[in-house]
Amino acid sequence: MPDLSTRVREIRAFDSLAAGKTVIHNLNPLTKILSTFVFIIIIASFGRYDFIRLAPYLFYPFVVMALAELPYKLLLSRILIVLPFCLLAGITNVIFERTTAFTVGSIAISFGVLSLATIMLKMYLCVMAALFLIATTKITDLTKELRRLHIPMIFVIILEMTFRYIGVLFEELYSMATAYKLRSGSKKGVNIKHIGSFLGQLLLRGFDRAERIHTAMRCRGYTLYQVAPRRRKISGLDIFTLVFVCFMSILFRVM
Amino acid sequence: MHMADALLSPAVAMTMNVVSAAAIGISVKKIKKNELGEKIIPLMGVAGAMVFAAQMVDITIPLTGSSGHLGGGILLAGLLGSIPAFLSMAAILIIQCLFFADGGLLALGSNIFVLGVVPCLLIYPLIFKPLIKAGLSYKRISVASIISAAAGLQLGAFIVVLLTLLSRITALPFGTFLVLMQPIHLVIGIFEGIITAAVLCFVYNMRPEIITSLRSDEGLDNISMKKILAAFAVLAVVIGGALSLLASEHPDGLEWSVEKTTARVFGIETELEAEGSIYENAESIQGQTAFLPDYAFASDPDNAFGTSLSGLIGAFITFLAAGLCGFVITKAKKS
Repeated sequence: MPDLSTRVREIRAFDSLAAGKTVIHNLNPLTKILSTFVFIIIIASFGRYDFIRLAPYLFYPFVVMALAELPYKLLLSRILIVLPFCLLAGITNVIFERTTAFTVGSIAISFGVLSLATIMLKMYLCVMAALFLIATTKITDLTKELRRLHIPMIFVIILEMTFRYIGVLFEELYSMATAYKLRSGSKKGVNIKHIGSFLGQLLLRGFDRAERIHTAMRCRGYTLYQVAPRRRKISGLDIFTLVFVCFMSILFRVM
Repeated sequence: MHMADALLSPAVAMTMNVVSAAAIGISVKKIKKNELGEKIIPLMGVAGAMVFAAQMVDITIPLTGSSGHLGGGILLAGLLGSIPAFLSMAAILIIQCLFFADGGLLALGSNIFVLGVVPCLLIYPLIFKPLIKAGLSYKRISVASIISAAAGLQLGAFIVVLLTLLSRITALPFGTFLVLMQPIHLVIGIFEGIITAAVLCFVYNMRPEIITSLRSDEGLDNISMKKILAAFAVLAVVIGGALSLLASEHPDGLEWSVEKTTARVFGIETELEAEGSIYENAESIQGQTAFLPDYAFASDPDNAFGTSLSGLIGAFITFLAAGLCGFVITKAKKS
């Protein structure tokens, strides 16, 4: 069984990181969403052998991480999740593209190796950019901003609910998994024979709980259609950041 | 099976983002119109969180020593009906993308399409529902779950292959890629089907009303497939048209080389021909997606600008400078 408590701690770690008070944290969420998106699109638009041209973009993760005071270790551990599929695609390129691109001393670098390196660098940049967004923005601020962007309210509510119930269900799952583990000797994981009742039970407990919570909330006057959140001011720094990130990204793209 | 940003070109990724956003928009409208909406939303949250939690559980398969995880599209559809399941799945994928970097931000639309639209809006109404139409029983639920999950993952894997190739990131020939992906996903699909069946049967046994009451609500479940398909078709035409304005005039030889290798090397012409029209469409989009003309290719080494020793050294120096920059800021902030 993967260490469930570790996963829960990781979610909470991002939550507490997002509560920081640095320059980056204080930016308007909209600025961050837009600049992240522009950055990722520009990165993805590079060709498959553009390893060297991608180098200037490394300033982005280093500078943002330093400004937002984010821990390197936690972010890097998140990258490992995406690694396998990218690595697979990259390694097949090494096998299929053996033409020499250029030589370094007496070592020939093939196009395949070059494209592997490019995929890895692209992955690093994109994943980092996305992680910065969430590590410096509270989920409530993010969903408020989504609502302002006219993402349908129902969908935003579903998003919020799912996120909140993850914490609740993880605790439930954790106690169930511990109970299962204690009764199953030294065996690892949940046997497929028991998975129906294991997950089914988790679901039914969750449903019951959700109904109770929903009733309680209704009693206190909750409706789905709440008042729209107040507009957050866009400061000069917000505009500067957005323009700067976009300008630099595009500049190095066309250069 | 989550796709990553690094493996998609912006044109392909954005097209999928628009398509998935449209699917979410249509679904939200549908659910809003329904009375059940308000009651079902908390359940959607819980069911989504459950799938999320279930993905963390290692499930051991006796005798094999291997373990697997759950995708969840069909399971959600079986519990909630197709539209709520799709929205729930989209929410899960967004959360996974943001908090676990599982699938990139740009690739979100592709992932929502492959893991949400395909199982919940296509496979569920077209395969699962007809199979249990005769009435609910353990056997029917099990058969429907397994077939649907397997079919969903097959279609999903095929779309992943298509999108990756359209993005021209991998040098893998179409056929080889397909041969690598499809059988693995057949096994995973059957496995997922078994888990889905087990959970649905358990819930049906304990609380049949959860499955039957949601199922009987035809208003929410009976989405018009024609409308959805028509919407997708219109979108594809509009986006394809927009992209072709930006398209390069000289599509490179990749399309036909991919076609040739598949046909010749792997002898799977029949399979490809069966997919003929889809493939041709895909090919024409592929021709149009090269909207950044200075794309460097192996066939044209002159274009691989800057790929030399001096370039590499420059890149390394940039890396050091960037790192130093970060270090200085950190130091300055601390003091």
